Amino acid sequence: MTDLELRIPLGVGEALRDIIFRHGQHEYVAIALVSHAQLGNRDTLFIRHLLELPESAYQLKTGHGAVWRGSSMIPAIETAMKETLGVVLIHAHEHRGPPQLSEDDSSSAERLVPMLRTRVPTRPHGSVVLSESHASGIVSMPGDFALRTEIDVRWLGASIVHWRVPSPDRSTRAVVEDFARQLLVVTENGQRTLAHARVAVVGLGGGGSHVVQQLAHLGVDEIIGVDGDHAAKTNRHRLIGMTRLDAWLRRKKTTIMRRVVKTVGLSNRCRMIEERVPGPAALGILKTADVIVGCLDNLHARADLQELSWRFLIPYVDIGVNIRAIKDPEPDEPRVTIGGNVLTLIPGGFCMWCSGFLSKEKLDAELNGPNRNYFANRGGEAQVVSLNGLVASQAVMEVLQLLTGFGQSGLRRRDVALDGQPNLQRGFRKLNGVRGTLDDWGASRRSGCSFCSSMVGAGTVSWGVPDAKR
Amino acid sequence: MKAETIEKAIGDLVSVYGDGVRTAREGSRTLARLADVEMPPGCRPPTTPMLVVLDTAAEKPVAYLQPGQLLSNGRSPRSTSVQIVGGESWMQFSFNVPWTEEAGIIRFIAAARQRFAQND
Repeated sequence: MTDLELRIPLGVGEALRDIIFRHGQHEYVAIALVSHAQLGNRDTLFIRHLLELPESAYQLKTGHGAVWRGSSMIPAIETAMKETLGVVLIHAHEHRGPPQLSEDDSSSAERLVPMLRTRVPTRPHGSVVLSESHASGIVSMPGDFALRTEIDVRWLGASIVHWRVPSPDRSTRAVVEDFARQLLVVTENGQRTLAHARVAVVGLGGGGSHVVQQLAHLGVDEIIGVDGDHAAKTNRHRLIGMTRLDAWLRRKKTTIMRRVVKTVGLSNRCRMIEERVPGPAALGILKTADVIVGCLDNLHARADLQELSWRFLIPYVDIGVNIRAIKDPEPDEPRVTIGGNVLTLIPGGFCMWCSGFLSKEKLDAELNGPNRNYFANRGGEAQVVSLNGLVASQAVMEVLQLLTGFGQSGLRRRDVALDGQPNLQRGFRKLNGVRGTLDDWGASRRSGCSFCSSMVGAGTVSWGVPDAKR
Repeated sequence: MKAETIEKAIGDLVSVYGDGVRTAREGSRTLARLADVEMPPGCRPPTTPMLVVLDTAAEKPVAYLQPGQLLSNGRSPRSTSVQIVGGESWMQFSFNVPWTEEAGIIRFIAAARQRFAQND
């Protein structure tokens, strides 16, 4: 693991590879406009826009990989200034193993980066070269020197493809023996990925407790749990791992989940945050997760988690179950409807707003009061342990797919398409608990979605001196 | 809010809060972060960062404080909620802060601060 990571949303990885690995008379360069954030101890760059130089911009010069007219970069620089984004040039050296910037690459970066820093001083700028398996480059973070460094790359596609610079702590843990019976699905590589993964579960009630328990059994290295509630007697019929004593002592749900993880004993770390989303401690730690699983009972918190997911390019799996009584049911007909969802939201793909799962009307209807505390402790909704377990198990399978790619890997949009429906992305599963089905209806990214256009890879806010002050 | 109203508001903030003002644009919103706003006597902490969101798609500004702000009686204010704005946690209060373009942003902030002069 290095101190710098580049994250690429769903769909953009495919476009980037198409540009920079193109075969022609010269090397090809992509211009990435990036935001950034510090996640844990790491500086992370997020690609917001990817631009391509027109063929007419390149000049053929013997002995140089790619030479282009400086003026051809003006539109990219103007967009970067307008949207307060950094500029990172990306090109490829077609081989496996760590690549090196050539002398040409380095001298052009050393000329360009200072100029870019004067245009947008609050964002990173640089030049990155990708091989077929690694990345390195020169990157200048705001207020810092330009640093020549190896770079981790996280591509979002059907799964998370994580190019990591090998570090001494990796592959040291013996994983095969403990997990021998799941390796046919997970594979040894996948098991190593799980052994270094950090998965966050928000909401440790009926759904979240199943998720935590299964993640612990899978061998996920670090499980983060977020919940501000205490367990009550009425939780016992559905909260996995809860005892009579927990109810009597009104123990925190985080305490119970910590014990569950410890009892399984296959995870290295477990961090529990006793707070509701979007509290500051919860947000701080959620930003460092590889995948977030939301097991929540309200749309506002879902909207918050989705914002976090989109800003920092973290896949988000959301589950929920809805049980409603049918008024005056016919004899021998169902007395209840049992609906629910398992959404797999990959930043760059469809969001809850695109799919109609969220709308302003739904949020307003839920609020129905002076502010969000109105529903802070609402309760009493019907819940059945086995129904929660059903959607929770599917959520854990989604996490497994994202981390290991056991079912499908690949960065192309067609790699996430619903079978036989190329315009729909997989991951919008609807539960019919009465019939016992969990079908993937698919959804597609809406081109005019203002949430997607403003939030994908937005990173942290780039605070600048106001124009009035300049 | 009209774009020119937002521009004037930023100018007013800079004239009063000087170097403590930072701004950012996100979609239709302009975010203004004030490093230190003095709270009414007895509040803890006595000064706190404030975020003012000015949105061309909204009728009035919205003010937020850093979570954890306490009243002079040592309690958390009622009718507040933590919200995510710009990827960070901020505390919103449902107290109806009056806004007119004529009165301007500085009075709006003063009215928002006043909410914390009342103990719940």
